[in-house]
Amino acid sequence: MIKFSNVSLIYPNSTTTVLENLNLEITEGEMVLVIGPTGSGKSSLLRLINGLVPHHTGGILAGDIRVDGVSTQLVKPGAMAHLIGIVGQNPLNGFVADTVEEELAFGMEVLNLSNEVMRRRVEEVLDLLGLTALRNRTIATLSGGEQQRVAIGAALVAHPKVLVLDEPTSALDPIAAEEVLSILHRLVHDLSLTVVIAEHRLERVIQFADRIVHINGEGVAKVGSPEQILMDSPIAPPIVHLARALGLPEIATSVREMRRMTTSIRNKDYENSVKENLPHGETLIAVEKISISYGDHVALKNFSAEIHAHEVVAVMGRNGAGKSSLLKSIAGLNSPDSGSIKVIASDPQLLKGRSRRSAIGFIPQEPSDLLYGQSVAIECRQADTDNEIAAGTTADLLAQLIPGISSHMHPRDLSEGQRLGLALSVVLSANPEILILDEPTRGLDYQAKRELVSILISFAKTFNKCVVLATHDVELVAELATRVIFIADGEKVADGPTIDVLLSSPAFAPQVAKVMAPHPWLRISDVLEAIEN
Amino acid sequence: MKKLPLHPFTWWIWAGLLVLAIIRFDSTIFTISCVTVVAAVVFFFRDDAPWGKSFNWTLKLSLWILLIRTMVGVLIGVPIPGTTLFSIPIVALPSWMPGIRIGGAVTSERLTSALTEGLLICAIIVIFGAAASLTSPHRLLRVLPIYFYEFGVTIVIAASALPQLVHSVSRIRQAQFLRGQSLRGLKSWRRIAIPLLEESLARSLDLAAAMDSRGYGISRKRSRYRPIKWRAVDASVIASAIMVVAIS
Repeated sequence: MIKFSNVSLIYPNSTTTVLENLNLEITEGEMVLVIGPTGSGKSSLLRLINGLVPHHTGGILAGDIRVDGVSTQLVKPGAMAHLIGIVGQNPLNGFVADTVEEELAFGMEVLNLSNEVMRRRVEEVLDLLGLTALRNRTIATLSGGEQQRVAIGAALVAHPKVLVLDEPTSALDPIAAEEVLSILHRLVHDLSLTVVIAEHRLERVIQFADRIVHINGEGVAKVGSPEQILMDSPIAPPIVHLARALGLPEIATSVREMRRMTTSIRNKDYENSVKENLPHGETLIAVEKISISYGDHVALKNFSAEIHAHEVVAVMGRNGAGKSSLLKSIAGLNSPDSGSIKVIASDPQLLKGRSRRSAIGFIPQEPSDLLYGQSVAIECRQADTDNEIAAGTTADLLAQLIPGISSHMHPRDLSEGQRLGLALSVVLSANPEILILDEPTRGLDYQAKRELVSILISFAKTFNKCVVLATHDVELVAELATRVIFIADGEKVADGPTIDVLLSSPAFAPQVAKVMAPHPWLRISDVLEAIEN
Repeated sequence: MKKLPLHPFTWWIWAGLLVLAIIRFDSTIFTISCVTVVAAVVFFFRDDAPWGKSFNWTLKLSLWILLIRTMVGVLIGVPIPGTTLFSIPIVALPSWMPGIRIGGAVTSERLTSALTEGLLICAIIVIFGAAASLTSPHRLLRVLPIYFYEFGVTIVIAASALPQLVHSVSRIRQAQFLRGQSLRGLKSWRRIAIPLLEESLARSLDLAAAMDSRGYGISRKRSRYRPIKWRAVDASVIASAIMVVAIS
């Protein structure tokens, strides 16, 4: 169905090749997963399939890519619209119409299909993706998971043979992600659709993949079955790391297989490991009965919580549950309708300038919002002068957090992980008492995530401070958080030690816990510790 | 207030006719009343969509234009004799610029003529701004003939980029505030402009790529799903505007 023959790609003004001599054949009805570190060229590979690269982006392409026999060099991307449906990283950026139904019809209108065909296919896709109830809704008012489904639907109406998706679950909570992926799985099996998907969070997609393309960032790509590729790949989901840590001869890609392989380990008797005592430092954040609403929408209802030094608190919940509202109120951006918030005994809304920087560090969803310098060096110098600290402190901090960033680089040219690191060092250079992060792992690869975890843990533990983060990433929470607050519809549903909250809900349990249930182990290190004792 | 599902061209034709009327009539009172009616119509019929809110920006922009236009009109130009209101010093200009004067006596005639001219420009901007805020750009794209391919892509990108721009500005300002930066002065705008520009560019490219890969502009013909039809309401809105032109 898709055939890459000797494909090499290089972008202008760049010294590294994105792909070098890639040969790959994807057959009909296959689901292929593309993995690699951030900035390694996953998106480029996906966009090569319908010719957006190089027709839309520029770049020098050698070799030939054929989809269903049509070479991308000879036709424009639009001429392949009936063959390939492509869903971008952020579907909201690609919507053309106001309502769901019009958006679905758009692709067929431009292909000049007859009215009866359009009517039939719109109904078909609405049913297939469970969108019937949403047909007349304005797209902007839909949740992230619903928007992702509309984007997939809009790609499917043209009856393409290939569907290409770039990180379809990165913005979604675990349940919405599950929904989208199971729909894709069904499309592959029912319609024999060929699906190519790029994703960082392997734990979500790995069980659906037939084959993996692993790009290492220096032009080399490896292709193979999930077991083959993951055997020795540094990029691997937690269950693969678990298999390696336990020294199992084989690896598994699904929880079910992994449980079969670890029966003997699970059935042994283990001493009940000592429960982590919640470290109780002084209270840094006191939220008392706050309520916030925007118009008719109630974001938080009568919410109370106290957060202490040493704690790493993960705020979890569905998209739109009120996580961001809570973080913003703590940071002093929202004024609650009722109730009060004290951060280190003062009202966060009144903090300004230097006193704000030394009290609260905030990393927004887009870390680049904080950055405006023309280079990494300028950004670091600005932070030094802002905080009246010795010149070079911020740059040293950055070098410690993420070594090897050239100080001449423009922040825009950094990878997601590097940019987050830069924003973090700018914020941490002011030595804040509390650090707040909103969805820090969106678009981060495993390597960057590991670095983030160690930075945040040492920040909280060593320096006697606290970290509050909102996230959908259960694996991150398992590694990092000491406490989880679960919000649904603006109300606190659960609040307790990570292990208790995560294990109580199957959807939010990390992979290791699913494999090792009923043993209360969240991390690989927990498992190893328990076995060694 | 529920918006009438009018044809996307209706408000544009209506606006065009009203502009024709005010230019033909050329009376300050008529222009002002026309703008008032238009503003009332917008506040009554616009919906909650981002483009609906853009009218406030149009009003602000046109007030600035009126102010600047009047000031320039008063300061520079050929003097009009009449009642002198007040006098400002004359800037000495070299001899090779005869007939042009900066400063001097400000007569009420000169002030009035500068004001009326400025008002006309503003009225035109406000009326077309009204049409833009009453029409969904997405619906407009649907009725636009496919021959305007480039134009179509541009308006959809512009129409979706602008409201998102406003949203991004507030988001970035929040982030900068959290970094403890002051939000006043020219410097703060420079700090916002850079991330903003980057983001809007990336987003516009995304949208263009998405439209391209869905085949927009490939086929010269385009079919219509639930075609948008002209209806009696549209005709009556346009008829009312024609009547205004007729009496002007």
